[in-house]
Amino acid sequence: MGRRRRRGGGARVGALPEAIAALSQTLPAGPSPEIFRRAKFDRPEAAPALWQLLFRVLSPPAAAGTRASPALGAQVRLVKSALCSQGYPRRVLARLPEDGSQGSRELLLALAWLLARGPLLEHLLAQTRVWLGDEIPLWQYEALASPGPPAPCQEADGPVDIRHLQWLMGTLRFRWRDLITSQQELCALLGKLLQRLESENTRLEAALQWRRRELVFWQWMDTVLGSCPLQTSPATFLPRDPASGPGELELVARELRGLHGELQGAVEPRRAAWEAKAGGWGPEWSAAQRATQEAVGRDLAALQRAWEQGGAPAQPHRPCRLVKRDARAVEGPGLRAAELTGALRIRESRLETALGQLQTRCRQELARLAGAEPGLIWILPPGR
Amino acid sequence: MSVVTVQLGQCGNQIGFEVFDALYTDSHCPQGLCSKRENEAYQASCKERFFSEEENGVPIARAILVDMEPKVTSQTLSKAAQSGRWKYGQHSCFCQKQGSGNNWAYGYSVHGPRHEESIMNLIQKEVEKCDSLSGFFIIMSMAGGTGSGLGAFVTQNLQDQYSNSLKMNHIIWPYRTGEVIVQNYNSILTLSHLYRSSDALLVHENDALHKICAKLMNIKQISFSDINQVLAHQLGSVFQPTYSVEGSCHYRRNPLGDLMENLVPHPEFKMLGIRNIPQMSENSLAYSTFTWAGLLKYLRQMLISNSKMEEGIDWHVQPPLSRLPTLGKASLNRELQFNTSIANLVILRGKDVHSADLGGFKDPALYTSWLKPINAFNVWKTQRAFRKYEKSAALVSNSQFLLKPLDTIVGKAWNMFASKAYIHQYTKFGLEEEDFLDSFTLLEQVVASYCNL
Repeated sequence: MGRRRRRGGGARVGALPEAIAALSQTLPAGPSPEIFRRAKFDRPEAAPALWQLLFRVLSPPAAAGTRASPALGAQVRLVKSALCSQGYPRRVLARLPEDGSQGSRELLLALAWLLARGPLLEHLLAQTRVWLGDEIPLWQYEALASPGPPAPCQEADGPVDIRHLQWLMGTLRFRWRDLITSQQELCALLGKLLQRLESENTRLEAALQWRRRELVFWQWMDTVLGSCPLQTSPATFLPRDPASGPGELELVARELRGLHGELQGAVEPRRAAWEAKAGGWGPEWSAAQRATQEAVGRDLAALQRAWEQGGAPAQPHRPCRLVKRDARAVEGPGLRAAELTGALRIRESRLETALGQLQTRCRQELARLAGAEPGLIWILPPGR
Repeated sequence: MSVVTVQLGQCGNQIGFEVFDALYTDSHCPQGLCSKRENEAYQASCKERFFSEEENGVPIARAILVDMEPKVTSQTLSKAAQSGRWKYGQHSCFCQKQGSGNNWAYGYSVHGPRHEESIMNLIQKEVEKCDSLSGFFIIMSMAGGTGSGLGAFVTQNLQDQYSNSLKMNHIIWPYRTGEVIVQNYNSILTLSHLYRSSDALLVHENDALHKICAKLMNIKQISFSDINQVLAHQLGSVFQPTYSVEGSCHYRRNPLGDLMENLVPHPEFKMLGIRNIPQMSENSLAYSTFTWAGLLKYLRQMLISNSKMEEGIDWHVQPPLSRLPTLGKASLNRELQFNTSIANLVILRGKDVHSADLGGFKDPALYTSWLKPINAFNVWKTQRAFRKYEKSAALVSNSQFLLKPLDTIVGKAWNMFASKAYIHQYTKFGLEEEDFLDSFTLLEQVVASYCNL
């Protein structure tokens, strides 16, 4: 089923607007299909919305999340530099004015280029995922397992003063009220979470719709590209313009070589001077260096072995979801908490041994240094 | 969890401003003596409780301003807005053009019902801004006209409408030689009504604050602003964030709830007092250093001897050796001077706070017989310093310290009531002699309960 250029653009009437609507719902800050249509004809009123869309798409998620978005001019500059760094080939975009008033067709082409080259939509959807809060990083689970403070206990023998009972009743009432307030807070937060999940669902459904209909969109984009005036679209993919000759490049290469030579010249005497200063250690120093390198290599190897032997989890620092599972269920992906506990305990004991060894070594070294310089007085830090 | 503050009357509004200002300046104090991250957590915690965020980043106090005259509220609003650091909400103020002439009954029976809907609507809007509501902090005077009567009415309404939320009333105990003739009537009516609808009554005495200003801060011409600043300092040192459990790294989420659970579960014992140490003018602060041992020793003696400040403490007062009934007049006198506690909460802020030894406060002799120190005594800590004090300690205490002043006021009010003086001013607006009698009965019961500890 090849691509066919047809007036009207779609396999049936309405397919194109639906496809574009699905696309814009999936994108963050997606403009209406009308904007897309106007952009095909390079209408200026469509330009600001498309600049803003590209800004949202190209800027890092942290920046996009801040309350105050920058002015249109700043957005334009950022979009241009981001596209340039990603290798966008059409130079016309870089020449568009910074007030964001023109170039809607070029922006549309840029958007299509971004969509075509990689999983842009998946990437954007992953960025704005709703976090459900049932994940914890592996190394923090220990903090949760620690028990709270013990509840104060009372001996029940002997006559009890009624005032004490009233006191306890009052405490219970306060805790009850606290529980109710916490429940209300929980409900409010769950409500917010549900709202966000609903909006995310809408976006995901739109993304699925888009996937089903995107062919129509690409056919239409062909017509957009076709409607660009010829003189403004050289669309050269060659990084070098042969007309300007090898002269420029040669100049640049020569300059680089010269710079390299200069740097070498500056570095050599400095390195010699440093070595002369540290040179008092001479062969001792290089021997010490080798010894340290060997020691470090040994330690690393030991740690590596310990890690492997301990049955390290495949990705230790990725956040993992906590899932309660029936004790009888044997198979299934992921780690079991008991295995992890065991592995971490083994690791802990190995690290403790290593720590002990290092401390002994430090002590020996300190003793040696203290013995080597009899005139030196050692002042210890104040004890805890 | 957030706290919504209701500032009532001239007194409540002036104090409220100083409190928010103290909280804000402390949370943005650069000399916190802790890491940057911890400072940010402290700021965030303080902000969540007392301020909400606006578009341009200026924090808005979670507060309602209520007064029957426009002068003080408009001054308060403009003072806050001018500072540029924080402000009150644009629509958080309710005021009228008429006063209430220090008449409790007018505030309770006329102003209250008339403006009930508007005031409760304002409160509702403020509550809706909170992600989670811990409770209400109501600042009012005990003996004035608007603050006291209207405050009692509003607290009752809060009890009906937000029965699960906590309510703490911060009340100003009037000068013993106050100017208002009917202040004792107002006081007993306020106290009795609040005792029924509020969860805790946090009391500041004007006389005590005045002495602190004179003796400790060395202020010559003491204005209400000075007094309110001392007060705000004490409140700030209680309500700023502290760690939730020993060794935890999270700030306590619900200080109001924790405080109440530790100190006022018993319905007959709701009166709380604050002591703070050290308290001095900022000029002297730079030249002073303290140890925890010294601070806590003074604080403990302030508690035992019912002293309001760290000067002029009576060091002869000691806990009784046994709890048996006293024999002989000498020991009786000393017994009477000793301030028995029901429960105490000590809050420590500053350097090396983990090394502070609180054994002196865990002595069972300090407490009443039916509550052991393990239940009666609690301590909150944080190493983040409060304002510019390298070490500071606050004590919130449920003890006999208000027993004598309360007894005095009830006695004086009773004498006036016995001769029916000025009663018609109250009965004119719907209050009856029955209400007075009920108030006397309730307060006599409170006095007796505190006496028999």
